[in-house]
Amino acid sequence: MNGNGHKMQVKNLSMYYEDFKALEDISLDFPSRRITALIGPSGCGKSTLVRCLNRMNDLIEGSRIEGEITLDGQNINGTGYDVISLRRRVGMVFQRPNPFPKSIYENVAYGPRLAGTKDKEKLDFIVEDSLKKAALWDEVKKILRESGQKLSGGQQQRLCIARVMAVKPEVILFDEPCSAIDPISTQKIEDLMAELKKNYTMVIVTHNMQQAARVSDYTAFMLVQEQGEPGRIIEFDDTNTIFTNPSDKRTENYITGRFG
Amino acid sequence: MEVRKTFHEQLDDLYAGLLHMGSDLMETIEKTRLCFLDLDKEAADQIICGDDVFDDYRNNLEEGGLELIARQAPVAVDLRLVIVIMRIASHFERMADLCEDIATAVKNIPADFLTAWIKDTIDEMARRANRLVERSIECLKERNVEMVRELESMDDAVDKLNRRFWKEFDRGREEDIEVAIRVVMISRFFERIADHAVDIGEHVRFVVEGTIAPLAINDECQ
Repeated sequence: MNGNGHKMQVKNLSMYYEDFKALEDISLDFPSRRITALIGPSGCGKSTLVRCLNRMNDLIEGSRIEGEITLDGQNINGTGYDVISLRRRVGMVFQRPNPFPKSIYENVAYGPRLAGTKDKEKLDFIVEDSLKKAALWDEVKKILRESGQKLSGGQQQRLCIARVMAVKPEVILFDEPCSAIDPISTQKIEDLMAELKKNYTMVIVTHNMQQAARVSDYTAFMLVQEQGEPGRIIEFDDTNTIFTNPSDKRTENYITGRFG
Repeated sequence: MEVRKTFHEQLDDLYAGLLHMGSDLMETIEKTRLCFLDLDKEAADQIICGDDVFDDYRNNLEEGGLELIARQAPVAVDLRLVIVIMRIASHFERMADLCEDIATAVKNIPADFLTAWIKDTIDEMARRANRLVERSIECLKERNVEMVRELESMDDAVDKLNRRFWKEFDRGREEDIEVAIRVVMISRFFERIADHAVDIGEHVRFVVEGTIAPLAINDECQ
């Protein structure tokens, strides 16, 4: 694994919403500084799984998990594990760009400010640096005081990425990051992900199989076998293998569009 | 439920085109065999002119394959099949070129040159070569990897015939040397057709197993 090991590991994870078992026996390692894609039909549990990785599901009443998820070897669901620090270390970019109703500058400065950074010069630096990392700086450097919500969808999504960058995460989760934006913006975000890979571990949930093929290093295919059953991992391999010669027939049927 | 219906129909069409090319090729190989046996110059001209058809087939299949790759982004077994259709089309086109080469040679062989032994030996090679092509197409249709070995042993027999022909061929008088070379080349061309058929088997293996087989090691290089 390039000598970097696994940033996050999921071991025998099952996840429930009340009595409903959404995920069963998921074991998956997310290699450091690599992009792992989760693909599969709607309702197979991709988003549920990715939301387990920074405990977003905690917010849903009646949700619980079995099994273990580790970040740098530490159980993120262990007693006393600081969920706030977890969400800082494991950032998330959502399907729909969701900038705060604030200026571009404030959107990015929000996180660091919350974490106690007050120095103006320091904040300026973080904002510029984060916007540069999100490949948005050149487009917004002259309008930093304008509302983030005035930007185009693709720009808003990169603003959200900059907002994640500002708190210096180690892992970035992308839940369908391009499904609501135009193709050129999609390409920009894909290029950005390739650039960010040098320093960050990323997980992307995508319905667009070609996007998974283009951007990711590893791909996991998930499936719900029968309606009402939990989602499972059917196959996990390097992306090249998944898209040229998958070993499971169900993976092949899904990616080639031959169902059932 | 199948979701990429249009794409799969286009892929089926491309594949059907390849099978057409294959059956036309088998017909041409058979005509080439008869043309040689009868030293039929007219038939030779027809074979030479008919080669354009195979160039067109190859170009169409290549364009069709490129278009599917560019517009449909095929993956997994579909991707492998598109690639292999394009590769096999090239093999078929080369085999048709070899038929053209044989026909050109036939036009330059005097009627009294061919002994019964020459005719019988090359006839045997031509029949076996065409049988190999037929079996390679069956191997493709059935996606039957087991048949690849059979193709290889069928090809060994053709290789042996070719070597024996070279060894035992009586070159005759000094002034016939040019004709003699043409006859030897005809034997060689049929042997090459058989080689291409074995390669088709390897491509079928790639479609089925997804692995790129190492090239067969030449005995003489070991």
